[in-house]
Order: sequence, then structure tokens, then C-alpha cells
Amino acid sequence: MADDGSASNRRDPIKSSVGNVAGQRRRQQAVTVAKERRELLVRAKRLCRVGTNGGDDEDALVENEMMIDEEQPVLEAQTIKAVEELKSAVQSQGKGAMQKRVTALRELRRLLSKSEFPPIDAALSSGAVPLLVQCLSFGSPDEQLLESAWCLTNIAAGKPEETKALLPALPLLIAHLGEKSSAPVAEQCAWAIGNVAGEGEELRNVLLSQGALPPLARMIFPDKGSTVRTAAWALSNLIKGPESKAAAQLVRVEGIVDAILRHLKKTDEEIATEIAWIVVYLSALSDIATSMLLKGGILQLLVERLATSNSLQLLIPVLRSLGNFVSVDPKAMLTILIGGENTEENVINVLAKCLRSEHRVLKKEAAWVLSNIAAGSIEHKRMIHSSEAMPLLLRLLSTSPFDIRKEVAYVLGNLCVESAEEGNARPRIIQEHLVSIVSGGCLRGFIDLVRSPDIEAARLGLQFIELVLRGMPNGEGPKLVEGEDGIDAMERFQFHENEELRVIANSLADKYFGEDYGINE
Amino acid sequence: MAMEITQFLLAAQSADARVRTEAEGSLKQFQEQNLPQFLLSLSFELANNEKPSESRRLAGILLKNSLDAKDSGRKELLVKQWCAIDLALKSQIKELLLRTIGSSVPEARHTSAQVIAKVASIEVPQKQWPELVGSLLSNMTQQESPAHLKQSTLETLGYVCEEISHHDLVQDEVNSVLTAVVQGMNQAANNAEVRLAATKALLNALDFSQTNFENEMERSYIMKMVCETACAKEAVIRQAAFECLVSIASTYYEVLEQYMQTLFELTAKAVKEDEESVALQAVEFWSTICDEEIDRQEYDSPDTGDSSPPHSGFIEKALPHLVPMLLETLEKQEEDQDHEDDVWNISMAGGTCLGLVARTVGDGIVPLVMPFVEINIRKPNWRSREAATYAFGSILEGPTIDKLAPMVAAGLEFLLTATKDENNHVRDTTAWTLSRIFEFLHTPDSGFSVISPQNLPRIVGVLLESMKDVPNVAEKVCGAIYNLAQGYEDAGASSSLLSPYLTEIIQHLLAAAERTDGPESKLRSASYETLNEVVRCSNLLEASGIIGQLLPVIMVKLGQTMDLQVVSTEDREKQAELQASLCGVLQVIIQKLSSKDETKPIVMQNADQIMMLFLRVFGCHSSSVHEEAMLAIGALAYATGAEFAKYMPELFKYLQTGLQNFEEYQVCSITVGVIGDICRALDDKILPFCDQIMSLLIQNLQSDALHRSVKPPIFSCFGDIALAIGGHFERYVATALQIMQGAAQVCAQMDTLDEELMDYGNQLRRSIFEAYSGILQGFKDAKAELMVPYAQHLLQFVELVSKDSLRDESVTKAAVAAMGDLADVVGEKIKPLFSNFTFCGEFLNECLDSEDDDLKDTARWTQGMIARLMVT
Repeated sequence: MADDGSASNRRDPIKSSVGNVAGQRRRQQAVTVAKERRELLVRAKRLCRVGTNGGDDEDALVENEMMIDEEQPVLEAQTIKAVEELKSAVQSQGKGAMQKRVTALRELRRLLSKSEFPPIDAALSSGAVPLLVQCLSFGSPDEQLLESAWCLTNIAAGKPEETKALLPALPLLIAHLGEKSSAPVAEQCAWAIGNVAGEGEELRNVLLSQGALPPLARMIFPDKGSTVRTAAWALSNLIKGPESKAAAQLVRVEGIVDAILRHLKKTDEEIATEIAWIVVYLSALSDIATSMLLKGGILQLLVERLATSNSLQLLIPVLRSLGNFVSVDPKAMLTILIGGENTEENVINVLAKCLRSEHRVLKKEAAWVLSNIAAGSIEHKRMIHSSEAMPLLLRLLSTSPFDIRKEVAYVLGNLCVESAEEGNARPRIIQEHLVSIVSGGCLRGFIDLVRSPDIEAARLGLQFIELVLRGMPNGEGPKLVEGEDGIDAMERFQFHENEELRVIANSLADKYFGEDYGINE
Repeated sequence: MAMEITQFLLAAQSADARVRTEAEGSLKQFQEQNLPQFLLSLSFELANNEKPSESRRLAGILLKNSLDAKDSGRKELLVKQWCAIDLALKSQIKELLLRTIGSSVPEARHTSAQVIAKVASIEVPQKQWPELVGSLLSNMTQQESPAHLKQSTLETLGYVCEEISHHDLVQDEVNSVLTAVVQGMNQAANNAEVRLAATKALLNALDFSQTNFENEMERSYIMKMVCETACAKEAVIRQAAFECLVSIASTYYEVLEQYMQTLFELTAKAVKEDEESVALQAVEFWSTICDEEIDRQEYDSPDTGDSSPPHSGFIEKALPHLVPMLLETLEKQEEDQDHEDDVWNISMAGGTCLGLVARTVGDGIVPLVMPFVEINIRKPNWRSREAATYAFGSILEGPTIDKLAPMVAAGLEFLLTATKDENNHVRDTTAWTLSRIFEFLHTPDSGFSVISPQNLPRIVGVLLESMKDVPNVAEKVCGAIYNLAQGYEDAGASSSLLSPYLTEIIQHLLAAAERTDGPESKLRSASYETLNEVVRCSNLLEASGIIGQLLPVIMVKLGQTMDLQVVSTEDREKQAELQASLCGVLQVIIQKLSSKDETKPIVMQNADQIMMLFLRVFGCHSSSVHEEAMLAIGALAYATGAEFAKYMPELFKYLQTGLQNFEEYQVCSITVGVIGDICRALDDKILPFCDQIMSLLIQNLQSDALHRSVKPPIFSCFGDIALAIGGHFERYVATALQIMQGAAQVCAQMDTLDEELMDYGNQLRRSIFEAYSGILQGFKDAKAELMVPYAQHLLQFVELVSKDSLRDESVTKAAVAAMGDLADVVGEKIKPLFSNFTFCGEFLNECLDSEDDDLKDTARWTQGMIARLMVT
């Protein structure tokens, strides 16, 4: 209350001391810093779900669904503008420059993730890559690294020549894979590298020569997290061959086999899936890896996965790996087969489960594994023959799509003969199996294969016909073959351009259906 | 029946301490045992012309103090007590008070007028004193009313208007009050005392006059009366009239156009030839017009789509006359002008106004001021030189860099030389002008600086030399160094041009801080704050060594403060002040060094000793917790991370004391913030302390005695604690959420017209959302189901906020984020809720369209979370 009536209107003079205001400002700054730290922490927590259950695909999906496709030209114009923004942000220095860079990067990343047809071309032609490389320089704040790596990831997902544009960025992307980087940054870089590696042999070789493999390999050592999964995925892309040197390099990374086995043992299916793909390539390309993994008991782990998982994504590489191992070392398989004969994890039954599955790929892979097993010892063959897989196989041979039929034919064919021994030109027939399989009604299926334009399938068919003709008791073979229109099928090869098949077909026809055929009746 | 208390009232003012104490005791006892009678007796005393003026004066003071207090808690209690008093008795008191304003004793009238206003402040809003205004007005209209009654009545009306809000009167009452007041200003009909009282009353009544100012006839009449009064014979009346004009300039800017010519002439005359007290108000009129126009310009700049209030460009139009008028004031410096911040005279007011004009019109001011500068800056008379420099310094903010740069570049060397001027005032203003130059024309960050690698050595040399000048000049030089350093913040990530000079600058600042030839501690605090800015803005890679050496120096200095001899309270205050400065420096050093992994170890190595010092600082002050030490502890917690746990057992009691310091609420607020810092440092290691912390925080929230500005930080702190201890927050959920819901309710009922209150409301809402976010994310890995019962309320709260068009962007962001957290964390169980709250989609779309990238990101994330929930 204006008791004293003194002049009430007085303002702070323009000429004032620095002390008071500065102190206030400093205290305010301290409060602001704390606030920023709080926001960072909460943000980390919010993003954390992506890490724990590896839901980035899922998130991306949701995000994509929500995106409204903007007109492509608009998107391209926005992209060019965003690159310009980035250029000026990269050039600007000092106060707020860092924030400006991050904002510009985020905008570009957003545009690149926006539509089904991301404006990669526009980004590249306006000069995004050198800027992004600059943003990856050492000592940059994490957020900046993350955003630029993210942009590069999206660019790398583009067409082959677009992926190649990443060449100048590779050394830095690889550098940020190291242990010194924060996990999100390393993961994003791994992702970008995975995309590059997926592009082809040439880029894979560049990555390998620049040393991408060891740090990537070490990234899968931890027990969990989306980082492991992404790194494993990238790694599998990097070693997928067909050249084997990357796989060979990978086995030499100390601790890698243990890490692989550990991840296969753990329950996380997402990680196991990517790891299983690594195993697929290792088992296909490196003998050393194969034997180390076998020694580590990988078959048992794969079989367990097969028995317990319902994830198609996981089962495919597991089956493929199993097949690889069996073909290399049938004995190890036998041990497991015998060991698990009467348990739930009976390999054959598990494979049978796959044959029963809805998924065509799964059926095919399972049949392929079975054919590898069936190519093994007589014990292997007996085990399959007496399993619940048999009726399934027989049915599949007549009802399933061609590629599966072919795999099934291999299994059935292998079951009927002893494995080829050296010097033995014609395999010995296991008559018991042959009879039961033929009586199961499979001959028709094989004869259909003979009619297929696929040479390999045709050979399979002819080989089986030969078995039937030669091995069925009481010489009833020819009659059976004739009954299924087999002669007609073989005659198609009389003038066939493939000499091998022509010879087989003609000699079979001559031998069993020659001038004497039918006289005895 | 009133009691005779004259003797006690007189004795209570006795020179004899014993008598005094005894009388005070008796009065206090009376007050406590029978408040109504006590107040009635006081009123009788005040009303009784037979009584000595000493006892009447004290009676009035005691009455006033029984109705109002500065402390809001106490005030509330007093209001309650008054309301509880018997109606008849209250009427009797009010009757006595109204009678007293007619007393022949001026002091009694004056005191009574004040007491009436206090009673009115309680009763008028509650419509419990409807006859007040009528009774006062009848004093004015009755022919036989003596002049002194009219004078007191007008004074009372003024005070009453100051105490109540214009919502409390109906328009008829406002009209009558205004008529009475304006008639009281009539020169022909009234004596000087009445006119002065009327003019002062008008100042308070102006806020009530919205409707009257909308009506041109009424408005012009009021303006005519004010302008006439501004030419009154008596200076005090002229001053009061100009104060009214200042108030009109800010409240009724929109309708001033037609009076501006007159107002310019009136103010120009006053500035030129009137007494300083009047001239100051005339200058203030123009400063206020500048305020209004700057506000409108700032309001206008971002295309908010709102229609901005009209801008009449008064300053632009008056510019050719206004600027010379102001320049003239600059040469009216006081001879031995003190350099304290609280000095206010015509030349300072003129320079300040000139600065505002520059900010209002920008480039236009430059050609009007520069000739004055050029002519005067070399004159032999110090007044001319000082005025020229001051004018130059005043216009550095507002005009474009393009316009200013050539002149500043040309004048810089002159100013550097002028730091050696023979006159103290000139050197003072020169140093200040240099600091303004560095503030506004040294931003290498955005590509421009008057400082180059070539002239930097000379500049630093001159500044450091001037640091040894008399204290007032040295203090201005600190400002120059402060702005110089700030310009180099972040400029060039690899190197700072200032790095080579750091050691020397720091040495000079430390030396200045040690000086004892200045008044009080101004130079010291300016030196330390400048040191802080120099450290904060340094290039850490280049300066880590120097800062590493500075750290132990400051620690030793802080240690030495414990040994200062403390006898008087003044000694105690001095010690606390010095400790404040040094803790401030430590806070900045810790923050700086812990910002990079390479330099963090320097803090870690010293952490134990630093912490010990802080604890000793706390130990020095039994009653309160040292604010700056607390702030520095927050920085230390961040630097040490989980290792901070070892300090907790000793520190904890000070945290508790800090949380309970309601009087110095800033201390409480800072302590709350530091608890957040510690949570982030310790994570779940904070758990053993949480029960006590939470119970104090909850008490604080429930208390009316705690300043409201502390409450938002407390809610944010809930979030910090929840994030740190995760599922363990379970035990606090029920209580915390209940209070959060209560606070949300309060937000919903706030008066949207009160800007300050809305500001607080925004802070409060944001902090409640932050608490939700922290608790939800804390429960993410476990216990998410605990939040199911609160989901509905949270969404309702978000909905309410989404429909408030006045909400702050930061509130929107926090609301959207909390909604996303709910979807993210609680998931499936609340899916139906999200389908019920249809506002979500619209709100999210609005956020997605925002200009603010952060908000867009948050909204997108939230959309993703909700979409995921709805799809699964």
C-alpha cells in the first residue's frame, strides 16, 4: 500500500551491474540442465521397449501404416530442402549448431522413412552422403551419430546403385561399431552395414577388407538386446558367401562359437533366428566352423529349437542348418537320433511336425533334412522308415507342389537303397523298404516326376523306376510300371537331348520291356 | 463494551524497556484472549479526538496488523479471525472507522483510511460491506462536508480501489466513484490537499475505468482533467497527475491517439523545465509507451494467427522530437553520482528510455543520435563526454548489426582509449558501453563480431588494465569480460580465441574479488559471476588444465571462509555471501569438467573433499540450508553418479532441512531439484531414503504455507523418484496419485484471466504429467497393472488440457507423452479406454501439425504406441 506516497513508477536502469542478473541466469541454467537430463532419461526409457522385445519391425510396421503417402514430387522437394538444411547446419558453428544439425538430420531421416518409395535418389543427388559422413565424425554427440547412421541405413536399403553410394561412409560406420560407442549408435551402424552387406559380393568384400567383421562379431557377445539381434543379422549378411573366406574369418574370432551356442540355448527366439542364419552359412561354408559347432553340441540345440518353437522365421534356418550338418557328419546325427528315439525330441517326429505344417518352405526344408538323413546309414533309413513321417512323405509326393515333391522323392529314393559304396556301381536295394513304399502308392508320383521338364527330377524318377523294375519281388516291377503308364513316360526320352537320361530310359525300356516282354504271360 | 487501553498503548511506546515490554505483554494477552473486544477498543481509541495522538497512532497500526500480514499463511488466519467476529461488533468498528476519517486530526484520518481499506479488502469481495461506497460518496456530495473530510474520503477511496478488484464493484458504483474522484481534481472547487488526494485516488481507480475509457466523452473528460492537473501549481500534484498518465499509457494505449499531441507537449515541457520528480514521471510515460509497442511487436512476430492488439507507432511518429528531448536529459548528471544500482535520476531515466526507443524503432534512431555522439564525445566538459558515450551505449540494442557495425568498428579504438579518461563517470560509462558492444555485436556464433584475432589482444589488455580501476569501473569491466566470454561459447568446436588469455583473465578476476576498497560485495560478486561465465564458455579441451588448477584454489578459499570470525549477524551474512559466491564457482567448475569423459576424473578425484566443504558450509548455518551449496551438490551428484551414495548418510539431514524451509522457498525449490539429480545419480540406491523424502514432499504439497512455485518441481520430483526406484514406487502410488488428481482438479478451476496464475497453472499441469510419465515408465518392467485404476483419470486430464486453447506448448508435449506412456506401459487392459476417448485422435493430429519438432516426434511416438495397442 502506498503509505509513504513515494514515486511508484521506477524501472531498472539500463546501466546495471552484471553480478545479480548473471547469478540468476546461472541458477536458472542449473535448473534447465537438470530438466534436460530428466527428459533424456525418460526418452531412453520410452525407447527401451524396442530393445527388450526387439519390436522394431513391429513398430516400423505400425508407423508405416500410419504414414500417409505423400505425393512423390512433394516428398522429393522436401528431401532436397532437408539436405540443404543439413548442409547449412553442418557449416554453422557454435551455439545451437549441434541442435540444428540433429534437427536437420531428424527431418531427413523422417523423410527417408516416410513412404514405400523413399526419396533416396533425391537425397543422393542433392549431396546427402558427404554431409552424413561429416556428421559421423568422431566425438559427435550420440544423437547426431544415431540420426546420420539411421539416414544411411535407409539409403542403403535402396536400389543397388544407391547402396553403393554409401562407400565413403563405410569406414566411419565400421568405426562406430566399436565398444566405445553407445549401444544405440553401434546398433544403427550395424544395421546400415547389414543393408550394405546384403547388396552383394562386391560390397561384402569391401566391408571385409575394411575390417567390419570382428567388431560386428563382438557385438553379438552380450546376452540380450536388440543390438545382438541386429548385429547377428548384419553378420549373417556379411558371411553369406558364396565365397567362404568371411565365414572362415568369423570362426577365428575368439569366443564366437560359444556366443552362438549360448544364444541358441537361450529362449529369445528373435535373436536365435538371426544366429541360426549365421549357423546356416557357417555350416555351409566352413568345415572348421562345422566341426567346432558340432563339437559344441549344436545338433542337440537345433533339434530342441525345432521341437519347441513355432516360429517359422526361426525354424527355417534351423532346418537348413540341420540339413547342412547331417550331410557333413551323419554319424553325429545318428547319435542324436538314437539318443532321442523315444523322447519328445525325436528328430524324425519333429521333422514330421514340420512336414505337417502349413508352410510350404518349412515342408520343403524338412524334407530336405530328411533326405540328408536318409542318405546316411542303414540305421538312419530304418529309423525314418518306421517313423510317423512315412505316411506324410507318401502323401506329399502325390499332393504337394513340385519343389516339395522333389525333395520328398529324394527321401523316399534314399530309403530304398543302401548308401553307395565305393566301386559299387549300382546301389543295393533295401527290398523291404522298396516294397512298403511302392505299396504305399508312390510309383505314380515318381512317374509324374519323370514327365517333368526338370532334368534332376526326371532322373530321380527314372532311378526309382529302375529300382522298382529291378528290386520288386517276383518280377512284378515291370507290370507295376506299365500299370502307371511308366512306359509311355520313358518313351518320351527316346530322342531326348540329354544323353544321360536318354541312355537310362532307353536301356530300361530295352531291358525290361524289350521284345520278350509279355511273352511269358 | 470497549475497554480503556490508552495507558497500555502509551506505555508500549515508552523509552523504558521494562515498561514497554510489560505493556506489550498486556496488549498481546488482551488480543489473544478476546480479539473482538481488543479490536473494538482499538477502534474507540483511534476514533476518540480526546486521546493523545501517540496512542491513536499505535491503535491504528495494531488494527491494521490485525487485518493484514505479508506472510500469506498469517494473512489467511487473520481473515478467518475477522470473519468469525460478531456482525454487530464488526459494524460498530466499521462505524467508528468511517467516523474517524472526518476527524480534525490528520494522522488519525490517514490511519483510519488505511484500516478501512484493509477491512474492505476482506468484506467487499464477500459483499459484506455494501454500504461502504455509498457512505464514502455521500461525504463527497454533501455541501457541508469540510475539505479535510473530502480529502480523507478520497484517500480512502484510493486505498479501497487498490485493495479490491474491479469485479467487486458494479458499474454504477464505479461510475460514482470515478465521478467523485474526478470532481475532486477540479482546481476551481477544491484546495490542494483535496486535489492531491483525488489525483492519487484516480491512479488506483484507473484499473476500474475500462468501461469509462471506452466511451469517448467520458474518456476525454478524464483526460482533460488529468492534463489540467499535470499543470497544477503544486509539484506533488503535477507528479501524481503524470503518474496517472503513465498508468493510462500502459492500460489504455489503444485509445491514446487523439491525445498524443497534447501529451507530447505536456511531457516535453515537464522533462525540460519541471522539477526532477515530475520530469522522471514524464520520461517514464515514454518508456511505458515503448514497453507497450515492444510488447506488440514481439507478440506480432511469430505468426500465431492471433489478432495482435493494435500498434499505433507513437514512438516512430514522435521520434524527431522525442530523441533530442531525451538526449538533453543525458547531460543533467549528478555531480557526485553514486554508482549504486538504486540510484535513479533524470539522466539515467533518459538513457534508459533512449534504449527502449532504440528497441522500438531500430535503425531509425541511429541518424538522430550519432551527431550528438560525434559532437560531444571529445568535448572538454566531462558531462558532454559521458552523455555522448551513454547515448552510444544505449542504442546498441535494437538497430540492425549492418547499421551499427561500421560505427562501432570506427568507434571501438576511441572507447578503448577512453577507459583512461580522467573522469570516473566517463570511464564507468565507457566500460559499460564496451560491455554492451560485446553483448550485441560480438556473436561469432551467428557470423558477426567486432572482435577479430587482430584486435583481441589489445581489447583484453585494456580490459585487464581497467580491472584495476576504481571499484565501480572494475565492476563494469567485469560485465564487458562476461559478454566477451559469452560470445565465444561454442564458437569453433576445436578452439576458442580466448583460450590463450584465460589464465590472465582468471587471475585478474580473482584479484578483483579480493579487493576491499569497494562498497559491500558488489565488485566481488560481479567478479565471481564473470569468472563463472569465463569457465562455462571456455573450450574445455584447451582450458581443462587451467580449470583443473582453479578448482583447488576455490576450494581453499571456501575452506578459509569457515575460519572467518563471526560475531555479529552482519559477519554471518558476509560469510554466507562469500560462501555463496564460491559455491557458485564450484558448481560451474564441476558442471564444466563433468561434461566430458576426459575431464570428469578431475572432479572425481576431488569429490570427497568438495563434499566435505559443502557439508561444512551447511554446518556454518544452523537455521537454514545454503542455497548455492545445495545447487553445487546437484552438479556433484551428476558427476559422481552411483558413487554419490557414500555421501548420503551425512547429507541427508540437510536435504530434509532444505525441504522444510518454507520461508526461503527458493532453498526448498532447489533442494527438490537436487533430489532429482541425486535420483538420477543413484538409481535404486536412493531407496532407503525414499520413505522420508516422499513423506516430506507430500507434506509440502499439502501445505498452504509453502510458496506455490515449489509445487510443480515437487511433482516432477515424483517422476524422478519413480524412474529411479521403478517398481518400489508401488508403496507411494495411492497417495501420490491422489494428490496429483487433486492438483489436476485445481488446475481445471483456475481463473483464466489472471495471467500470472495461468503461468503457474501451466507449470503445474506440465509437472503433473511429468509425474505420470515417470511413474508409468518406472513401472514398465513390473507392476504396470498398478496404474490401471488411474488410467481413466489421466485420460480425462489430458482431454481437459487438449480442449484448453491457452495451454502452453510444453504442457501439450507433456500431456501427449504421458498418454503415450500409458499406452506403452499399461497396454491391453486399458484398450477400451482409448476407444472411448475419441478426443485422442484429434489431439494427436493437432500435435502432428505443430511447428515444434519435439512435439511432433512425441506425438508420433504416442500415436505409434496407441496404434500398436489397438492393432494387437
